[in-house]
Amino acid sequence: MANRRQFIAGLLATGLAPTTTWADVDFPAFLSAAVRTDGSYVLCGINAAAQVVFQLPLPARGHAAAAHPTQPIAVAFARRPGTFAIVIDCISGQVIATLTAPNGRHFYGHGTFSMDGSLLYTTENDFEAGTGRVGVWDVTNNYTRIANFTSGGIGPHDIKRLPKTDVLVVANGGIGTHPDTGRTKLNIPSMAPNISYILDGSVVETCVLVPEMHKNSIRHLAVATNGNVAFGMQWQGEGNPPGLVGTHVRGAALNLMEASTEQLRKMQGYVGSVAFSGIGDAVIVTSPRGGLIQHYNLADNALTKSVDLLDASGAAMTNAGVMISSGTGALMNVARGKTVKSQITGLQWDNHLVGITTG
Amino acid sequence: MKNVLVAIALTLLPLSGAAQSKADLTRDIVTAHALPRFADLASGSQTLANASIQDCTSDDLRAHYADAFDAWVAVSHMRFGPTEVDNRAFALAFWPDSRGATPKALAGLILVEDTIAQSAATYADMSISARGFYALEFLLYDAKISTAGNPAYRCLLIQTMAADIARMATAMSDEWQDAYAEQLLEPSASGVYRSDAEATQELFKALLTGLQFTSETRMGRPLGTFDKPRATRAEAWRSARSMRHVAVSLATLDDLALRLADGNLPLQSKLLDSFNRAHDQLLALEDPTFAGVAVPQSRFKIEIVHKSIEAIRTIARDELGPHLGVAAGFNALDGD
Repeated sequence: MANRRQFIAGLLATGLAPTTTWADVDFPAFLSAAVRTDGSYVLCGINAAAQVVFQLPLPARGHAAAAHPTQPIAVAFARRPGTFAIVIDCISGQVIATLTAPNGRHFYGHGTFSMDGSLLYTTENDFEAGTGRVGVWDVTNNYTRIANFTSGGIGPHDIKRLPKTDVLVVANGGIGTHPDTGRTKLNIPSMAPNISYILDGSVVETCVLVPEMHKNSIRHLAVATNGNVAFGMQWQGEGNPPGLVGTHVRGAALNLMEASTEQLRKMQGYVGSVAFSGIGDAVIVTSPRGGLIQHYNLADNALTKSVDLLDASGAAMTNAGVMISSGTGALMNVARGKTVKSQITGLQWDNHLVGITTG
Repeated sequence: MKNVLVAIALTLLPLSGAAQSKADLTRDIVTAHALPRFADLASGSQTLANASIQDCTSDDLRAHYADAFDAWVAVSHMRFGPTEVDNRAFALAFWPDSRGATPKALAGLILVEDTIAQSAATYADMSISARGFYALEFLLYDAKISTAGNPAYRCLLIQTMAADIARMATAMSDEWQDAYAEQLLEPSASGVYRSDAEATQELFKALLTGLQFTSETRMGRPLGTFDKPRATRAEAWRSARSMRHVAVSLATLDDLALRLADGNLPLQSKLLDSFNRAHDQLLALEDPTFAGVAVPQSRFKIEIVHKSIEAIRTIARDELGPHLGVAAGFNALDGD
């Protein structure tokens, strides 16, 4: 692996190589931040066979990442309330740009590229005003910040792009925080999460939960190839919530997926990541606190299967199902009902697994 | 205030090397840590409400306010069950208030002499930013709010706010006594807690919650950054209670931590030492409002206290959690 990368890096240095693609990095299918046994932080590329194909150092703990739609470029975001994101050339391992949040802003750890890869969008907290923003960075001009616009709510967390369009979908978690107080939640009684769709800097659709669910923070998103959205939530209220997973089709109301009281209890009010299954039949979520991978069948809108995996956290779509990562270093490939577990030693996967997709 | 700082008797709790069962551990914490503290909050708040009816401007009232507020800080880490019903904890303790909602809401009430303040029952519908201990502090100590408008209306507002506090504190204590203690003590398939391990985990989480809030918010907020210290973001600085709250919090968390570490004498000693260190460093500051954050020499000492509290968090997470067998995974403990 190193040889191949060195070879390509050498070609690049001589100017002989054509434009590189993800194929030149041994076809990683996923990106994930991790912590190594020695306490250092890395961004890893993982291939479809659950092998680590590269490890690149990060200056601090990462959260999620964004993969460029065509070029082998990844953006690793600092964990909330971090103010940096680094753009890495996954072939040379070099940092090609560093994004710094403007004064009065911090990142939430998520971002996404525009369809043609020329722009990068980041979710941000304008913490003195207490409002959510989306920052826009010009990829073609060394990641210069060129604009920002409302995220449509407070506490924007995950951001994704609908396939084959430049419509952004943002999970506004609803929770106000200020870096002076770390991750202390400042507005739980009045929080009002939503999902906002944004096109050309304007919110074109906003969906809210029913009032009884206003303490269910919508945090993470997945998009299906048909543009449908799934979301995972984190409950800030008392007792158990009515549900923690939902789906949305544009123009309709948010749809809550059903789980038994027992399953909701086990999740401890917390969904870590959400992904659509590659065959389009299910939404899969992780519950690190419950040590669970849950399958919600789209046909009957309910939880149909639960598999135990200690500290299960990241989830990303594969052709036939999903790949799941865990803080124990495990990767679990779930395809057509079968699971294949691999154990990566020396790495603890951090929070999210990001699929590398084009289009 | 009764005295500058509570010199907490950290060693009152007998250290014990003999391991208890999880059920015994829970029983000890519920009966000796949680219930008496919620009862103190209820009685202290009732005394405050009664005193406000006698005289709504006296030093005596301020002394009762200090006692009741202490009692709140001593339970403020137990954010589960009765404190979360009807947003009680938020209504008792709306802080931090990054955007100054509390003085804005109070000034508005006083300006129009809003009749929502006529009773605790009507005041329950008031925005939480104008309820509880932090709002009451403005009426008792803030230069502007404590002199604004009509004195008779302000007096009514103080009495109603104190009654509202007493009502919520009493409800929390009653619910702990009548039902919630039982939930923790008798886990069951249909209960809030399914097993003794789940009950223990809740109590361990309360310790982590309290340490986090005290470190990140009570200390972190005034510290700000070296270039931008934020003394007026300290907790309850108007009543000069900022440092005291950290002391009260350390004392109550020390009590809980040592009870949780029961059966592991070396760990108890380590926790005791680390709490003692933080407490002694804090007392030595002699800076009730953390105003010293803006001066390099004194700031350095406040940062040391902050680091000592962070060290306690590390011990709790890395040693007490595993001791209890409730240590959570990397993502389970620290997701986003």
